[in-house]
Amino acid sequence: MTTPSPEFGLDITHASDVLVIEVVGDLDYETSDELLDTVVDHLAPDTALRRLRLDFRRLTWIDSLGLSTLLMVHRHTSAAGLTLELDNRPGFLDRMLDLTGTLDHFTATATAEGDPTGTGAGTGTGTG
Amino acid sequence: MVNDAARNVLPEVPDGEDPHVSLPDWLTEAHRYLADGPGEGRTEPLSGAIGGRHYEAHARLSADGDVAWWLIDATDRRLAEETLRSEQERAAILTEVSSTLLSSLNVPRNMEATVRMATRHLADAALLVAPGQGRRFPLTYAHVGGPVTQVTRAIDPNTLPGLAEALQGFPPVPTRWINPDDIPSWAIPEGFEGPVGSVIVTPLPGHGVPAGALILLRSSTERAFTESEDVFARMFAARAGAALSAARLYTEQATITATLMQELLPPQLGSLHGVEYAGSYRPAQDHERIGGDFYDVHAGADPSQESLVVLGDVAGKGLDAAVLTGKIRNTLHALLPLAGDHQQVLNLLNAALLTSRHTRFATLVLASARRRAGRVRLRLTSAGHPAPLIVRADGRVEECGTRGTLVGAMPAVSVQSVETDLAPGETCLLYTDGITEARGGPLGGELYGVERLKRALAECVGMPAEAVVEHVQMLAAQWLGQGRHDDMAVVAVSAPRTGPPTGLDGHAHDEGPGDPEPPGGPAGTRERNGRTA
Repeated sequence: MTTPSPEFGLDITHASDVLVIEVVGDLDYETSDELLDTVVDHLAPDTALRRLRLDFRRLTWIDSLGLSTLLMVHRHTSAAGLTLELDNRPGFLDRMLDLTGTLDHFTATATAEGDPTGTGAGTGTGTG
Repeated sequence: MVNDAARNVLPEVPDGEDPHVSLPDWLTEAHRYLADGPGEGRTEPLSGAIGGRHYEAHARLSADGDVAWWLIDATDRRLAEETLRSEQERAAILTEVSSTLLSSLNVPRNMEATVRMATRHLADAALLVAPGQGRRFPLTYAHVGGPVTQVTRAIDPNTLPGLAEALQGFPPVPTRWINPDDIPSWAIPEGFEGPVGSVIVTPLPGHGVPAGALILLRSSTERAFTESEDVFARMFAARAGAALSAARLYTEQATITATLMQELLPPQLGSLHGVEYAGSYRPAQDHERIGGDFYDVHAGADPSQESLVVLGDVAGKGLDAAVLTGKIRNTLHALLPLAGDHQQVLNLLNAALLTSRHTRFATLVLASARRRAGRVRLRLTSAGHPAPLIVRADGRVEECGTRGTLVGAMPAVSVQSVETDLAPGETCLLYTDGITEARGGPLGGELYGVERLKRALAECVGMPAEAVVEHVQMLAAQWLGQGRHDDMAVVAVSAPRTGPPTGLDGHAHDEGPGDPEPPGGPAGTRERNGRTA
């Protein structure tokens, strides 16, 4: 490693209806559970929140499990009726979201994904 | 001469001139040494037994050559010292048990070491009964001066008092309750001399589960087990049991991993229906973890049918990833009849994988390949996966235009397929991001990246699929150096450079006029949009 990643950490700012979590360091296999737990902890008792902003200004790397965790976070915020914002995305995060086709999913309106298992099955286009 | 105090200690010594005759030998000898010897006073105290007690003797030479012997009763101190030495020996034995057994995770070897140490330190013979399956139990026998033998035998634990309880992990039956005459013949090692005089049956306690039982035997000519030896045997068994159950748990886990790995091992690839396939999988160095990369080639029913290549990458590692990988491979296998429509296959796969419990996903590439008129027709679909790269005959390296969403975490899948032809000698490479995200290089910590991979592939023009795969893996390995890496999987699909299409498709003509060209031209690509939800 040329420059060691800063230690993983979450900086949390809680305003009236918006929760801002700044993700510092690598969001990966070892650290992503911490982010999910933090989000779940904040969502559970408090329904006054309308928005969750994840600030990736100081994100240094993300792996597939990190992305999986973001999808899970999105599932939780959608279920709670919150808007999820992924702010200050570094290039590698944008490229990953683009490659995996998940950017639209994250930016879609919060109510689009109600039941995670209910839709999308067997709806092939049938072109051949 | 003997004074009154000495008289109490040595009542038999006569008051005569030569008391040596009835003095204890050790004292007589010491006296002779002093009296007849060079006359140097011995500084260390002498000691020995007199009438069941232990005495230290200190000599004092007088001017006229007489020797006065001071006798000091040291029985209690000696007992304390013996106890201490015995405790130290026991502590050393327990340390030996732990260090010997914990250095190995091989269960049979640990059972062997346990009985060997038991016969060295505790008993004349030892038998370790491991937890059995039904009535059959693995038995490890040892006796002093004999070999260690291991057999699996049907035994009835109830025939040996205390064994059934010990195997269930109950506290041991006190040794004095076990009648040596009740020992069944199977519990006595072959070659054990003489009748059994004394028995200890003690459980080998494991981590919450019994790891078996240890039976210690002494022959009747030896002294019986004392209560303190009984206690020590239990301490010995506790150490051995902890180590054995650790080894057993590890072995079970390793077996599970091996079973899964066997199921998840990448298949052997080769030439199929006139198309060349080659694959390579380099698992992450994290040996205990099953990686998340996989690939499969499903052969078409006949050369006119497409074969389906799947290469994928499951998020995460370990058992969760292994289970998801297995699920994906099985589901895709079942969906093969629908492989003509990649979008539909991916939609059905996505639906099968979706669960409310997690958002563990996979990215994958589907490639349907079929030999046609000397070329290889390819349909490629990426589901959130790095796009396949194609090495053209003129050295160009193209990134395929297919793109799509990952599967298993979102309600719907949306993909764009691409069709293209491979001319003879051209290769399409499917790879996982373990290659492009390999960190290393001259400065270390730098990503290998797609551009470097493309340049590497440009050197592979005309190479057979096997060589392309090896070249890519070799370059990635060089880039990594000693660095750690994730799973790396590569599959190459090539149109063979020369020769007839292996005679399998029944067409004598290569490039024959009767073969209709697909829309979009022979080497052109046709994009197909399929989007749901």
